[in-house]
Amino acid sequence: MRIVYKVLAYAVAVEVALQASFMVLGIAGLGKWIDAGGTFDKASMESDDSMFPEAVGFMLHGVNGSIVIPALALILLIVSFFARIPRGVRWAVAVFVLVAVQANLGFAGHELPIMGALHGLNALLLFTVAFLAARRAGAPAKTGAADDSARVSTPA
Amino acid sequence: MPSRVRGARGRTVAACVAAALVIAPLAWWWQVSRLPGSYAMTSVGHPDTGGAAARHAHPGGVDVTTLVADPHRRADVSVTLTARHQRLRVGSRTMDGFTLNGTSPGPVIRAVRGQLVEVRLVNESVRGGVTLHWHGVDVPNAADGVAGVTQDAVRIGEAYTYRFVADQAGTFWYHSHQASSEQVKRGLLGALVVSPRPVVRTGEQNTAADVVALVHQYGPARTVNGQPGDLRVPLAPGATARVRVINTENGPMSAWVAGAAYRVVAVDGTDLTGPTAVRDTAVLVTAGGRADLEVRAPADGTAVRVHLGGPHGVVLGGAGETLTGKDQAPVASTAPAGKPRATLDLLTYGTPTPLAFDPDRPDRRFRYDIGRRPGFLDGRPGMWWTINGHLYPDVPMFVVAEGDVVRMTVSNHSGEVHPMHLHGHHAVVLSRNGVPATGSRWWIDSLDVANGETYEIAFVADNPGIWMDHCHNLPHAAQGLVTHLMYEGVTSPFAVGGHRDNEPE
Repeated sequence: MRIVYKVLAYAVAVEVALQASFMVLGIAGLGKWIDAGGTFDKASMESDDSMFPEAVGFMLHGVNGSIVIPALALILLIVSFFARIPRGVRWAVAVFVLVAVQANLGFAGHELPIMGALHGLNALLLFTVAFLAARRAGAPAKTGAADDSARVSTPA
Repeated sequence: MPSRVRGARGRTVAACVAAALVIAPLAWWWQVSRLPGSYAMTSVGHPDTGGAAARHAHPGGVDVTTLVADPHRRADVSVTLTARHQRLRVGSRTMDGFTLNGTSPGPVIRAVRGQLVEVRLVNESVRGGVTLHWHGVDVPNAADGVAGVTQDAVRIGEAYTYRFVADQAGTFWYHSHQASSEQVKRGLLGALVVSPRPVVRTGEQNTAADVVALVHQYGPARTVNGQPGDLRVPLAPGATARVRVINTENGPMSAWVAGAAYRVVAVDGTDLTGPTAVRDTAVLVTAGGRADLEVRAPADGTAVRVHLGGPHGVVLGGAGETLTGKDQAPVASTAPAGKPRATLDLLTYGTPTPLAFDPDRPDRRFRYDIGRRPGFLDGRPGMWWTINGHLYPDVPMFVVAEGDVVRMTVSNHSGEVHPMHLHGHHAVVLSRNGVPATGSRWWIDSLDVANGETYEIAFVADNPGIWMDHCHNLPHAAQGLVTHLMYEGVTSPFAVGGHRDNEPE
């Protein structure tokens, strides 16, 4: 369970990094498209047929952010109950809460763009917390008492 | 050791309980959100009588299949449309799509006001079935073309005949209402134009032009009448053209005229009263909506462009420049011009005329609040649209009786714009964000409700049936932003889902 926790927490961190990458890919593609004389409006935004190839970045950002990352954070939380990592549950809860905040900021940004700015900052916080959670799972337990699972499964 | 083992067991039990506390509510919400494989649209939602006492419907009621145009009257306009799954040519590209009589958009259907239009839809090769909905035409319910509500989807080898009297002159369009979010995008659509009187062809004079400009995006290409780039229309200097802009896309589109004045003479198939000339101003045509623009070709013989969402659109006149075809490069007057900053406000445009009913004394008042929240829709997790705070199918069913004056408050707090479309009726806009409408009567069948906006609209319930009232960003409708207007005592033998695979959205 410890290894599963570790992999999931790293996966959240990697996914957050990808999210930033997808978004900038899309925006760069949009800039290039406009520069070449293309236009982009609500009608084209709502079409699933991309006018420029990099628009796939927006699509991936949406699917990843609304489905994949919340699912990873949820599974991490459930795994944390069984993983017996010192403060592992707290870190998983922190990841889960930050993911929820992140999704809400993302959607709120449609209405209030300043929330989008906070979405960008919260991403860094989420990345850091997910990364630290993963590191925590990787660190050897300091005291035996903190890690009963090792004792029970391997009696001396 | 035993105490440690007990401690470990205790922890495992605690972990299981904690996991169950997280999973159980999610599993519960997932389970209750699932829709049956087949259901009647009349079973969707909570009846909302809008403040009127519910009357008891007669047992048996009125079947939607009986709500038809006079069956003994001969058709004045008779058309057969054959739906096919085939390759489409869009400019220099080809793509997989759907056609009607071999083209997409399908043929422009033209009628004169008062004529009975009869369209026989034949499905030759579109898997999953097709229908045709007459967007903006207040047809009898049986001709409304909504799969699972007013008919079964027309499967390969089958046919369905739509009959209606085109009693309103204006610009309309038709499209499939079976898996509409997919089929409309891929080509099952076309224009319908109803003229107030028979059109007299003036030969080659080009002193007046009636131009259909149906805007649709095929793959990455935005097209006018199916072709990318400009639609060029010959027009004598000083002559006027009526450009019938039809937005078949899922988002609002701006239209504007570069360097010339124009008038918006009709919206959603209804003429405006007293429209004045505007300049350097765009008009927003919402998804599914139409706007008829009257434009005069410059007297000096140059061309004028009606921009449709971007650099391209309809280029009128400029005979000397364009008809020879020698030089395809645009001259100065038709060089693409950017979108003006100003957008026409239809709330104050034109001059008011009296209404035939009193919207301040409605028989029913309804609220259509659009929001968004996380949840499950038919078992799928996501951020879904809500109506009055609830997810589909837990939405209001607006119940009316024939003759009722209905007032509806449509508000949007969902973060995104929604083009709201009510079938079978035209509603008049009374106010936006509390500011009363003071211009021409603004009748809509497709209303652009931006985030944060609240519209008061009113209509007379004069067309019995079961009528969808949904977002015309068609994927949004598929995501649950759909409900219906239900006349008391009307029943439907059709079902959504089931062995006919009816899938209206």
